[in-house]
Formats: sequence, structure tokens, C-alpha cells
Amino acid sequence: MLTVRELRAGYGNVDVLHGISFDVRPAECVALVGANGAGKSTALRCVCGLVRARAGSIEFEGARIDHVPGHRIVRRGITMCPEGRQVFADMSVLENLRMGGHMRRDRDQRRDLEALFDMFPALRPRARQRAGTLSGGEQEMLAIARALMSRPKLCIFDEPSLGLAPKIVDEVERTLARIKANGTTVLLVEQNASMALRLADRAYVLEAGNIVLEGSGQELQTHPEVSKAYLGY
Amino acid sequence: MITEVLQQVLNGLAIGSVYTLIAVGLTIVFGILGIAHFAHGSAAMSGGYLTFILTERLGLGFFPAMAVALIAGAALGVVLERLAYRPVRDAPQINAFIIALGLTMILEGGNLLLFGPDQVVIPTPYQRVYTVGGLVVAELRIQVMLTAALAVAAMAIFVSRTRAGRSIRAVAQNRQAAVLMGVNADAVATMVFALSSALGVIGGALVGALLAIAPGVGEGLVVKGFAVLILGGLGSIPGAIVGGLVLGVSEALAAGFISSAYKDVIAFLVMIGVLLVRPEGLLGKR
Repeated sequence: MLTVRELRAGYGNVDVLHGISFDVRPAECVALVGANGAGKSTALRCVCGLVRARAGSIEFEGARIDHVPGHRIVRRGITMCPEGRQVFADMSVLENLRMGGHMRRDRDQRRDLEALFDMFPALRPRARQRAGTLSGGEQEMLAIARALMSRPKLCIFDEPSLGLAPKIVDEVERTLARIKANGTTVLLVEQNASMALRLADRAYVLEAGNIVLEGSGQELQTHPEVSKAYLGY
Repeated sequence: MITEVLQQVLNGLAIGSVYTLIAVGLTIVFGILGIAHFAHGSAAMSGGYLTFILTERLGLGFFPAMAVALIAGAALGVVLERLAYRPVRDAPQINAFIIALGLTMILEGGNLLLFGPDQVVIPTPYQRVYTVGGLVVAELRIQVMLTAALAVAAMAIFVSRTRAGRSIRAVAQNRQAAVLMGVNADAVATMVFALSSALGVIGGALVGALLAIAPGVGEGLVVKGFAVLILGGLGSIPGAIVGGLVLGVSEALAAGFISSAYKDVIAFLVMIGVLLVRPEGLLGKR
């Protein structure tokens, strides 16, 4: 579904990614794990058209997307739930969700809104409330719901557990598991490697802009180097 | 005494509503795109001159002429954004600032070349004067206030109620998230400049009807517009509305009770006073 080959990218004079390749197949959950600064977020930003690839290719459903501008990526069926939630703070919860469906012209949006309020019941009573007044956990749920409003074929999550209380992190994990179970393809970046590897069918380990390991989520969970470096046991 | 104060307040509200129009145009460009659009006043004056030509030479009514000028102004805004500001969007902010100063000179020069150096007053049919309980109410002043209020209200409704307006707010609040939702940030920048210039042109035409247009008036107006922006709170539309009216009224009171020679000084003293107490502006966020 998503095929990344020899991707190089960076900022200014610095290359962050030194030619990485990875695949995401339909209905799969793929995780990129690695330390801070390994290039995980940059890889995602390339897929979403927020950072231009310097070399290599990104293909989605058989078509090159590495030169498609960021605002057109969502129409291809890729949505990202960005790091740090990035909800529209001065808009209401409802308006944030409508922004998620900004590119949609169909009439099913109302039904999807209802379904999302069922999935995230904490958001329903806050529909008219300013998103900036929500708690961190609620904002994360809103950011996830907003991403789902575009009905993505591939939904990308950049550090969804970052800065959240452990109880909320569990909720995020359950939510991602549900999204995956609903048949949406998921690409996940997490510093919380144990959570990422539990969710992922397959995972790639990034180190300093290179992919150093690849395997199923379970394999990597028990891999001695991974467990020592990222899981802490 | 009370009547005199009310009279000056009324006069101040009329010119204040023009300041508001100019300031709202500046504040949306600054708040959404982060550009200090110093050429805004001169662009507004181009619209004022055009309104003058359409009424005086071609015999159009005041409002039809203003409507034509408004469309031309929106088009000018699109051109300014595309040709002047977009190329420096990702450059350091000082570049856009220099562009703005250069554009001011180009537009002022263009106005001089196209419309001449003479002071012009846009003719309107609203010359009646009413007396209400000792207050002298000029029909033109009422028309100016109503037109300004209508223009600002139309813009506010567009931004708060339409899909395009929502995409503008999205870019203002979080550009990257807006792009991820599929918003074309370039198109939003163009739209913001079109809106801003259209409002500015209405302001220019109203100044031309209320006072007069001449070379340099636009530059004076943009300085006041930025003063209002700071007074009201940077990037705040309600702040620009309140700030414009406050500036207009304090100017009128100063002119009426102290000296019209000092009206600008006193208006800026009021501004400094407000900023000493509320550094974030009247309605700005801390």
C-alpha cells in the first residue's frame, strides 16, 4: 500500500534520513521505533508532504506521492494525527472534527460525527467547548477523531502517547487497537516502544537515520538488542 | 457641555469606523500571515481614487462605484500577495517588511502617476444635516458608520460561518495541522489579502467622502491603522474594531476640547496610556 524506497530527507545542510526503505501493507499496523532524533517523525512528515524528500521514492497505492503538496495528500487517503495533538485551540470540538472532514463533499459526515462521538464519549458533551480548554488526554482523543473524520485508508500517528498520563496512554493504545481492528491501515511512530511493538504487526527500528532492524512486533519485543535499548529490560 | 461631548463622540465614531476598517484589514493579514502590510493604506487610497474617478468622471452612484472599486481592490490584494509577498514567505521576516516598504512607495508613486497630485473629495448625495436634541447629525457620517459596520460584519460572518472562513481560521491557529486536513495554505494567503484589500478600499472610499484623498493620506492612515492594531491587541479582530473607535473618539475629543493641531499627539498619548496599563492591548491575549 505504502512503499518507501531509499528515502533521504533533512533540514538545511543536515540529512536526517540516509536512505530508508519500508513498506506498509493493507490493513497492517506498522511501527517505526527508535530513539529521539532517529528520524522517525521526519519519515512521517515526508509521507505527508510536509517535508520534501531529497532522494528516493514514496509510493501510495501504486502512485508516486513524493512530489504531491501536503494539502493534497489527504485526498489520496492518508491522514496524520500529528505529534503534540495540534488541535485548533480556538475552534470548538465540533469545528475541529469538521476540519477533519474538510476535503469531504459527501453527505455521510453527520453519521461519521455520531459514530466518532460514540467511539469517544468524553467528547460528546464538550462538542461546543473550545478545544484549547480540553485536558491533554481529551485533546489527544480529539486529534485522533479529527484524523478519522477524513476516512483515511492509511492513518499515521506521530507519538500519540507523548506527554500523557499512564492511564490515558492505555486508552490511546486501546483506541489504536480498535482503529486497526476496524480495518484501517496504521503507521505508528512511538518512543514508547513497548506499546508500539504490542500494537504492531511489523516494526522497523531506526537509528541515526538508518533502519537497523526489521521484524514482526513480537520478534522485536523479544529481540535482545531492542529490549535492552528501548524496552528497558 | 454634555451635548458638546456627545457631538465630538459622534464625530469621532465616524472617522473611528474608518480606522476600524483599515485596522481590521491589517490585523487579519498580520494575525493570519504574520505580515506587517505597510502598503495597505496606499492600496486603500488607490481604491479611494478609483471610486472618485467612477463617481466624478463616469457618473456612477457612490455605492455602485465603491462596489466596483472593492472588486478591483480585492484583485489588487491577490496580485500583491502573489507577486510581492509569496516569494519571501519562507524568508526571514525582515524581507517581507522591506517588501512592504517598497510596495508602499510603488503604490504611492502609482497613485500619483494615475490620479495626479491634487486633493480630491468623493462626491456623495448624502449632504443633509439633521439636528437631534441639540446634536448635529450629518447624513454622510451616518452612512460612513453604517457602511463600515456592514463591511466588518460581512467579513466576520464570512470568517466564522463559511467553509472557506473556517479554513482561514485553521491556518491562523495551526498552519501545519490545517495543511494535514487538506487546506491549501497558499490559497488561504491569497484569500486573506483579497479580503483585507477589499476592506481597505471601502475605508479609502469612505475617507475620500468624509475628508479628502491626497498623496500621503494613505501612509498616514496606515500608521494609525497599526496604532489601532497595537491598541486593540495584535491579531484580534474585536480589538481592531474597539481600538479604531477609541482612537477616532479620542482624536475628536482632543480636537474639540484642546486643539485640533494636537489631536494626533493626544490620540497617541491615549494609546501609550492604554499600553502602560494593558501591554497586550485592549482585547489582546496575554
